[in-house]
Amino acid sequence: MRWKSKTPCSQKSEEPIQPTSLSLFLRLFYRYRDLAPQLVPLDYSDNPAVTLPYELIGSMPELKDNPFRQRIAEVFSEHGDGNMTLDDFLDMFSVLSEMAPRDLKAYYAFKIYDFNNDDYICKSDLEKTVNKLTRNELTPEEVSLVCEKVIYEADVDNDGKLSLADFQRMIIRAPDFLSTFHIRI
Amino acid sequence: MCTGVKLYLQHLLWFLDSITTHTIILVTPALLFHRNKVLKEITNKARQRGDRPSCCTQCLQGASFRRFGNTLSERFQQLRVWQKILKVIGAEFGTSVLSYFVFLTWLLNFNIFSFLINFSFIIIPQFLAAEPNNLSFTGLELFTGAGYFQQTVLYYGFYTNATISKIENGPSYNMQLGYIFTVGIYFLICFLILLFSMAKFFSRNFIQPQKFSGNASKLLCTWDFNITNEKAVKLKQKNLHTQIKEDLAEENKEVLNFSAMERVCRIATHLLAWVVSLGTAVAACAGVYFLSINNLELFMKGYSNDLEGQGAMLVLPVIVSLLNTLIPFFFSWLGHMEKFQTPGQHLYITITRNIILKMSIVGILCYYWLNIVATSESQCWETLVGQDIYRLVLVDFIFCLLGSFFGEFLRRIIGTTVCLNLGLPEFDIARNVLDLIYAQTLTWIGILFSPMLPGIQMIAFFIVFFVKKVSLMRNCQPPRKVWRTSQMMTSFILLLFCPSFLGVLSLLFFHTLRLKPSEGCGPFRGLPAMFSAVTEWVKSLESYTASKWVAWIYRNLIASELFFFILCTFLLVVIYLYWEIIQAKKTMAKGLRQQIENVSLAFSCIFCIIWLLC
Repeated sequence: MRWKSKTPCSQKSEEPIQPTSLSLFLRLFYRYRDLAPQLVPLDYSDNPAVTLPYELIGSMPELKDNPFRQRIAEVFSEHGDGNMTLDDFLDMFSVLSEMAPRDLKAYYAFKIYDFNNDDYICKSDLEKTVNKLTRNELTPEEVSLVCEKVIYEADVDNDGKLSLADFQRMIIRAPDFLSTFHIRI
Repeated sequence: MCTGVKLYLQHLLWFLDSITTHTIILVTPALLFHRNKVLKEITNKARQRGDRPSCCTQCLQGASFRRFGNTLSERFQQLRVWQKILKVIGAEFGTSVLSYFVFLTWLLNFNIFSFLINFSFIIIPQFLAAEPNNLSFTGLELFTGAGYFQQTVLYYGFYTNATISKIENGPSYNMQLGYIFTVGIYFLICFLILLFSMAKFFSRNFIQPQKFSGNASKLLCTWDFNITNEKAVKLKQKNLHTQIKEDLAEENKEVLNFSAMERVCRIATHLLAWVVSLGTAVAACAGVYFLSINNLELFMKGYSNDLEGQGAMLVLPVIVSLLNTLIPFFFSWLGHMEKFQTPGQHLYITITRNIILKMSIVGILCYYWLNIVATSESQCWETLVGQDIYRLVLVDFIFCLLGSFFGEFLRRIIGTTVCLNLGLPEFDIARNVLDLIYAQTLTWIGILFSPMLPGIQMIAFFIVFFVKKVSLMRNCQPPRKVWRTSQMMTSFILLLFCPSFLGVLSLLFFHTLRLKPSEGCGPFRGLPAMFSAVTEWVKSLESYTASKWVAWIYRNLIASELFFFILCTFLLVVIYLYWEIIQAKKTMAKGLRQQIENVSLAFSCIFCIIWLLC
């Protein structure tokens, strides 16, 4: 389910442009263009099909040290390979901005931690997450123990893996999530 | 059947979520709708740079759009500078330390707003009707606030009680009404802003007390995406690694069972610690009280212009700031001695004790100002109180800078050269936030006595922001333990509202309604109370038929006790109704949770039976 497809493209809106979102979008567009000025044109009226490769996106200062940068790029890219169009880029930073609502952030955080893209965070996904969070410094037994505890605590329907609903319920109990799942640009 | 039961389970979970979260539909952010508009604008801008406007209207449209764009971009430039600084802080130290700086900018906004409206409505009219200042200026007035400053707009005593009009038969400005309405409206707006911020924080950060899953949320919800500095990321990963190892080790330890004797010992230790801390607070208040009585005697004798006389005026503020700085260290040492069961308990109890200390010192000073100075025989007691508050604010600012110097700079020198196992200091968020709340309380108390005080506090907060930022970047390391930012910020805003702001409001009501202003100075000289200016104005309005409704509103709504009684009853009923709704939802959530467990248990039993039969 891509909520992006639901946005009305030809909306003749007389809504006033909110200054913060307008300035955010302009900034994001210029940041996108700065990554590869020779590839990205200034004129977007005919919707050019420009895609920037993952290496450029992953080299941005906001992302280059984040342990989950590859997953973030994969989740927001159109074909799941990390190469992003302008639309994908704008989506990514608007979900990670402070204006996005909690449910939207929870949905995308869930997709980022779901490494095998099966709509569930299973034990192997959790193990990969723990390893990324601790730079592979825990022993495999400790990793396994931690993952079992997490599943035991958060899995309400007892199917051995975390669904989106379990994850969202966990988010409610972590009010810091809104401020930590946020990248300033 | 399996899918059927699974669907039923999913529906139950969905319903449970809808009760607990109220939103289950993923809401598309509004800013997405503007994306096409923005892309069109970017294209237009590109075209505009290439084309020349062909006709006049196009010219005008282009010019106005560019001008609008320029002013907008200027405004965003200022915000961008701020945003950039906050981004750098968040990148290296994470969200918890960032929350202190965000709180500081929020308080700064309150002071900027107050300074602007005080300047426009109180200070500028007074400049038009100012009397010449005959006193001489020596540099010492910057510290003591006395001397030359006594006859300036800094203090209440300088303001005239006349109706100012520069032009003959032109519009006139009633200073009394201007003064009281400006201060009143400022406090009303602050009250509304604080109330709505508190409500927003509570609704976002309220954690349901049952089933707090510590480990799961620690793993999946606390990675700070704000941190973008390579060293900081490595440090955070190392901290998380250490924390996970500690948690696993704690699981293996045996659960300590205290015997009855040990439990009694622990309770006795806690009681003793509370008695000692409350006793220290009481002793500090008594010391401040006697010192301030001495202070008043010094004023009544008449201050001398020499250095000793001026220095004696600074003794009270310096002692108050010393008490406010040193006693919290004593409290935190006491907390270490007590051996709490969790570090969270230690933190909350230390913060509670610090708040009790600070608020009781402020309380005793207010009692001294409003009961003793106000009824003394001094010429202009409001100016005396204003000077006291000015000195307190200034000395508190100096101590804040000194605290940064000693607590962070010197501690880093000690930790890296002399005593290597101490290491770099961590930024003490709780202590710094409580200092901010104390400074803001003093400013709010002083607005009525010194209209320029918010401007002074605004400059002080600016300087504190940059000093703390530089000190943080150079001397501190990122925090080691997980700090529950949202919970702490909610409690800090609650502390700002509840003892601090509400206390100031009650003082304000007491002052305007009950205290007699001094006879010889200020805009309310000769009146029985400050509020009498408003009652007299309303009485004068009754003679005009056009404004009889104002008088009616005043008589029947503001000055009538029956209206307030009805309002209070209505509010209590609404609060009770909301409370009952929350309890009902809790019961429903509990019942549904039980149902989920029962159904999943039933399903697993059925599956076992079928498997056994096969």
